[in-house]
Amino acid sequence: MSFDLNFIGILIGAIMASSVPLILAASGELITERSGVLNLGVEGMMIIGAISGFALMVVTDNLFFAVIGSMFSGLIISLIFGLLTQSLLTNHVATGLALTIFGIGMSAMIGKNFVGIPGKEFPLLFLSLKESIPFLGPIFFGHSIILYFAFGLPFLTNYFLKKTKTGLIIRAVGDSPTSASNQGINVTLVRYSCILYGGAMCGLAGAYLSLIYTPQWIENMTGGRGWIALALVVFATWSPIKVLIGALIFGGITILQLHMQAVGLRIPVQLLSALPYIMTIIVLVVISRDSRKIKLNTPTSLGQIFYKEK
Amino acid sequence: MNTKLKVSEISKIYPGCIANDKVSLEFGSGKIYALLGENGAGKSTLVKILSGVVKPDEGKVFLNDESIKLNSPLDAKKNNIGMVFQHFNLFETLSVFENLSIDSDKKNEDLRVLVNDILKKYNFKIDLDVPVLNLSAGQKQKVEIIRCLIRNPKVLIMDEPTSVLTEQETDDLFVSLKQFSKDGILIIYITHKLKEVLSLCDEVAVMRKGKVVSVSNTIDEKIESLANKMVGENLNTIKKKINNFKNSEEILKISNLNFKSDDPYETNLNNLNLSLKKGECLGIAGISGNGQNELFQILSGEIITEDTSIMFRNKEIGKLNPRERREYLMAFSPEDRISQAAVPELKIYENVALNNFKSSNFFEKGLVNEKKIKEHSKKILSNFSVNTDNVELKSQFLSGGNLQKLIIGRELITSPELLVCFNPTWGLDVGAINYIHETLIQINEQGKSSILISTDNDELLKLSDRICVIYKGKLSKIMSADTVTAEKLGILMGGGSID
Repeated sequence: MSFDLNFIGILIGAIMASSVPLILAASGELITERSGVLNLGVEGMMIIGAISGFALMVVTDNLFFAVIGSMFSGLIISLIFGLLTQSLLTNHVATGLALTIFGIGMSAMIGKNFVGIPGKEFPLLFLSLKESIPFLGPIFFGHSIILYFAFGLPFLTNYFLKKTKTGLIIRAVGDSPTSASNQGINVTLVRYSCILYGGAMCGLAGAYLSLIYTPQWIENMTGGRGWIALALVVFATWSPIKVLIGALIFGGITILQLHMQAVGLRIPVQLLSALPYIMTIIVLVVISRDSRKIKLNTPTSLGQIFYKEK
Repeated sequence: MNTKLKVSEISKIYPGCIANDKVSLEFGSGKIYALLGENGAGKSTLVKILSGVVKPDEGKVFLNDESIKLNSPLDAKKNNIGMVFQHFNLFETLSVFENLSIDSDKKNEDLRVLVNDILKKYNFKIDLDVPVLNLSAGQKQKVEIIRCLIRNPKVLIMDEPTSVLTEQETDDLFVSLKQFSKDGILIIYITHKLKEVLSLCDEVAVMRKGKVVSVSNTIDEKIESLANKMVGENLNTIKKKINNFKNSEEILKISNLNFKSDDPYETNLNNLNLSLKKGECLGIAGISGNGQNELFQILSGEIITEDTSIMFRNKEIGKLNPRERREYLMAFSPEDRISQAAVPELKIYENVALNNFKSSNFFEKGLVNEKKIKEHSKKILSNFSVNTDNVELKSQFLSGGNLQKLIIGRELITSPELLVCFNPTWGLDVGAINYIHETLIQINEQGKSSILISTDNDELLKLSDRICVIYKGKLSKIMSADTVTAEKLGILMGGGSID
């Protein structure tokens, strides 16, 4: 195996691609959690996004509809979560778990007729630049538009939360819904919006898997990425930029350890497979060890049911 | 700029409780109005209605003779009614400026100019860019007040504003409030502290059990007359006789105790020294958040210290957990009745059983001896005048006062040598407070010792033999209670020094 620069560039490009679903889902969930809502249904919303994206692609033969449809279906299924937790005041944890189980079952049912159908080629941008520039070409070019969006998203999210009024209101609701409500903020509306946004991003993350990353439908194809995304949000201490770093480390080590397995290093396969999880946690814990910052970033009301005094 | 505010026939009924019963009151600008009453008299409900947080079942509110609808806090804001709640409505993790801007339609730059003007005008000193959790209670309250002032309020409602302030901060607040009143803002001041009514307010309305029982000018009132109106019965004041414990045996000694916390919300304790004799009550005053929680937890064993700095009856107890300490005859009544002292969802006898001793035999071979626990619980209920004899009742249905009697009873029925209590009468009505105070005096008379950590100076002066103040995790000199005055305590609580 040659370790020339271009190969490393291609490797980095692959790592970036593999971290896209994590970045999308975690960024969405981060907004949801910043408003004080703990939605453990990420995995379920992702897989619903994956099957609906793929099914729409097969039925309409239009990738644009497929992508938009996957976001919409993620949004619809998160609406169920919203109705239950915000209007009927059910427990966030139990409802989120139910949502994941529901999503996995539902996607398998819909997906029966779509197993084995080949995917459609998703347009990749700047392909000529990718070929012509060594090293940097494969890193920066030849990706789908969703990847570019995903890599911009954490920065947008960071700006949105820190600099905009809406972001401020979301953080305020996550800090103290009672105070927010007493200030005349419609807590339920804010939380609904954040839940729906999170659902849409998880749907998009799922669509990236079934339309671009591995363009086909396989049952359970999210393979636990939703749970990783959830863990990333927590270990990144609700900071969008750290979510990006965490997702890249996870994607990176996942790909590297596959290569290491291929090379045949004398390390047990199980250990190599566990490596991405261990390293991501270690790195995120180390970069987020400032307990003061954790206090300031953690949504104080996370997972608490809010109801308005009448 | 004359403002007239009138509430007319306001009623609000909660299940099992009439919070407001046809309340009618009139207010006009240029004056400071006191709304006085015990906890549960309906003051808070009335101001929640005025601030749009709660909707009344009946009745109307008139501002300048026009009926206004207050369906939400936004409506109150639109009508220029500002409200500073007793429990701050601030976002702890956001900066001061973010807290202010969330509520404002102004551009950030304009808002900053406006806020700086307000800071200058009223001589407030607050850093706008630190997170609110770094501020003292007095500063937090100022942030709340500034938030109201930004909107040019016609009416400013203050709900029990001094419960978290030092004497000095209270004085500053009163100066500000008088200034606001001069500037034409109508001020409604809710309190149960009689002295404040007399020193600050022009008119006073007294509420009892949801009704307005009296409206008068404060010039015509005295502390006793207001107290009687508020409670509706003549209070018998008790005052402990202060003992001299020169010859009594020392029961607890803490020397050079240090505690360092990793949690930015907690306070570090520095080099604490204290000793306690048999039959003595040591009062520890201070504004909440100065290390009282940590000190209580260290005494109770919730925080275990490796130090050998705590000696109780000549034993090192620093490493013992709360249960082991109870077996050495210590007892504890934590500040938070609902979450620390009792489990509200459990029945009375189950809560009693939680506090089990080896000697209590509540559990045999891993099984619960229900009969024994129930008998024991019945004894507590009757000995400590809890107003129920049903041990099957869920603890959450007890009022604060009765729950506190149950907790103190549970602790005392085993005749401990030392009782450590933390704000034992917080939020209770006068009747329950008196009962608890009498009980605490009684145990001292029986030769048992007590440590009273409290934020209520009157209570401390009434019950303690010696008093010290905790400020930023340090204890002041321990003083004999007969040499201490509320003013001295206030200075120490604010970090000042006395000689």
